[in-house]
Amino acid sequence: MYKLILKLAWKNSFLRRSRTLLVIIMIAVSMSMMLAIEGIYDGMVENMVDKNKRSDSGDISIFAKEYRINKDLAYMIKNADEIKAQIENMQGAQAVVLRVKAEGLLSTARKSSFASVVGIDLQAEERFGKFSEFLKEGSIDLQKQGAIVGIELAKTLKVGVGSKVVFSTQDIRGEINSIALYVRAIVQTTNISLDNSAIFIDINQLHKFLGTDSKNAMQIAIRGEDKELYGKLKIAFANLDVKSFLELQPMIKQMQDLMIIFNSVTFLIVMGVVFIGIFGVMYVSILDRVREFGIMISVGMHYKYIRLQIFLESIVIGVLGYLSGAVLGAVLLTYLEHYGIDLSAFSDALATWGYEAVIYATIKVSYFTTTLGAIMAASIFSVIIPLRKIKKLNPIEVIKAEK
Amino acid sequence: MFKLAFKNILFYKGRSIATAVLTFVSTMLFILYISLQDGSHNSMLENSLKIYTGAIEIYRKDYRDIGGNEYLIQDVKAITDKLEKIDAIEEYSPRYETYGLLSNKEYSAASMVAGIEPNKEKLLSSLESALIEGSFLDEGSANCIYIGAELLKKLKLGIGDEVAFIGSASDGSFAADMFKVCGVFKTGSFEFDSSTSFVARSYFDELMNAKNRASYITLKLKNIEDADKVNEQIISMLDDENLESLTWKTLMKSMVEIMEIDAVFGYISLSLFMVVIFFVIMIYGFVNVSSRIKEFGVLRCIGLSKRNIFLLLFYEIALLSIFATLLATPIAAYICYYYNINPIVIDGIADMYKDYGIVSDEIPFDYNLFTIGWNVGVIYLLNFLSILYPYMYINSFRPIEATRHV
Repeated sequence: MYKLILKLAWKNSFLRRSRTLLVIIMIAVSMSMMLAIEGIYDGMVENMVDKNKRSDSGDISIFAKEYRINKDLAYMIKNADEIKAQIENMQGAQAVVLRVKAEGLLSTARKSSFASVVGIDLQAEERFGKFSEFLKEGSIDLQKQGAIVGIELAKTLKVGVGSKVVFSTQDIRGEINSIALYVRAIVQTTNISLDNSAIFIDINQLHKFLGTDSKNAMQIAIRGEDKELYGKLKIAFANLDVKSFLELQPMIKQMQDLMIIFNSVTFLIVMGVVFIGIFGVMYVSILDRVREFGIMISVGMHYKYIRLQIFLESIVIGVLGYLSGAVLGAVLLTYLEHYGIDLSAFSDALATWGYEAVIYATIKVSYFTTTLGAIMAASIFSVIIPLRKIKKLNPIEVIKAEK
Repeated sequence: MFKLAFKNILFYKGRSIATAVLTFVSTMLFILYISLQDGSHNSMLENSLKIYTGAIEIYRKDYRDIGGNEYLIQDVKAITDKLEKIDAIEEYSPRYETYGLLSNKEYSAASMVAGIEPNKEKLLSSLESALIEGSFLDEGSANCIYIGAELLKKLKLGIGDEVAFIGSASDGSFAADMFKVCGVFKTGSFEFDSSTSFVARSYFDELMNAKNRASYITLKLKNIEDADKVNEQIISMLDDENLESLTWKTLMKSMVEIMEIDAVFGYISLSLFMVVIFFVIMIYGFVNVSSRIKEFGVLRCIGLSKRNIFLLLFYEIALLSIFATLLATPIAAYICYYYNINPIVIDGIADMYKDYGIVSDEIPFDYNLFTIGWNVGVIYLLNFLSILYPYMYINSFRPIEATRHV
């Protein structure tokens, strides 16, 4: 019996071929567009999160209690090297780096700009966030007063690889001190604050320049996605300021939230309209066949079988639309994941605002599963009203009625 | 044909209601989405222009690309004498900008220190209205410094405190002086407030040896829409290939470009809704038409041409579209107008997006009748396109065949 109903449902789904095809195309086109848009927007935010973590805050960062309010040399983490070693031995910690930072004036013979000097250990940074991948020009080398400059800062000062720059700031004793540096590389981290103002030099050289103790640091950044690690660090270093990535980057947290809201609203609107589309076709398709259903009931077919047949018809259309949309969407997403959207014509503007010139999509299984759920729901709910009409039918009257 | 179309609309209520509702929703969505997008972009630009950037700025060539004292404007007066003759210019002022270190006993910070003409700046920028403490500069302010709130915080200074300045003068010599904090400003632009300070030119020129020299001359126009036209006039009047006159569109190129990109993404998102709605309207039209094949067959048999049938469908969709847009457009336009005057306020958004140059928590809508007009035009076009396939479908039947269609 069920086999027969399934066969009937399949055949009836294609009774009006053009109509069914239109609904399938509608689902496929809207679904694939929606998946591509979701993928691109998620890709943009994920890329930003990844680059920010790798270039700066990691998954967790630790500062001295007052440092984030008063970015002053007085507020350094004491014995940071020992703390680093301690964290490295903790479960879940994948990489740990120490950083020293100071704000000051970076000058060339012609131009000056405010800048933040960041003292780093290149090898540790490579393990931490593959620092060399940020390279745009030159070679990653901090030997002999070498410096690496953020791409926007380099543009502001009009410096290139080989240029000489002078960084001036107040040292630990309050004296204005200057250091001559040679630009060895230009990097683009897509972290706006670093690209706009950072100049990276060797951490030991910076300690020497600022007159600070080489055991101390401003920031301990930690990579490690273990959710328990944050809690453990909070307890272990209660006298320090332990912050998670999203606590340090509320803007990115808000961007993620906005993206979820935007994607959810888009999803609801699109699925709502898809529901109206399926409903329209199923409604007319069922009303066209009222006489047929009347005959079926008259010859003894139970209402539940008719209901099942109609549900199956709707699901067949929904599934075919979904499959076409999933294939089209997967093709689009795969293309966008590999080749992205090339906005090189606007690369300068994008770099200024912390975006890369090519925006790549991300692919998540949840895109497909949630859409499947929504299309199935839309297919099932779209036949509820027509089914109520069928249920109220008087078979004799329906058969007698003129077509 | 028009009468028949009207009767059909009333007869096929389901299709008519669905089409009208979808057209109404898409019109509202389109107008409000574009209005919000344009409004927030315009607001960002206006805020940035209001703070400090001029509608037009005149530079010596290569100052912006290479920089340095040799690319300063050397004879400001010769240029300003010419600018006086251009009626469209409301105000102009030469600015001298330099970077230096500001220090007190304990703290120091890099700052862009600009020499300005305080009385003219009152008209040119929002520096005076950004005052939050102390007083704005005047021509006799001597060594008073007008400092950004975030920079003041960094240096832990207060009104009346002294701060040392170290920099280099316009002739390359060492320049140092003690300034007295007289006023504090907060424009809302985090970068600007944390890195900029001002001194009256009458005093600063002496210190920097910058009399009759300037980094650039900034201009305010009577009507900013005339920027391109006035700029051409300035270029021809200056007639000096060592000078360049640039409008805000070039000066704020990165902001303009990022807004273009944002608009493109906005249109892509919007097109998704439009495509789905277009399909549904087309499906409803198709379903309606396919249940009326017999009727169209009869109409053709009694002498109606294909053109008449097209006209019939055209009138039907046109009437439904007119009804829906007449209802949606005034409502959407009123919402745009209301939120243009009373912008949506999201507390904390400016602080959150300070790195992106957002300076206000207010998000205004744009109220532009031309934009609303073309938005409605697009909806009409989509609705008219939606009848093409149903029309082709009807025409695939021969009249006699259509009359027998079941």
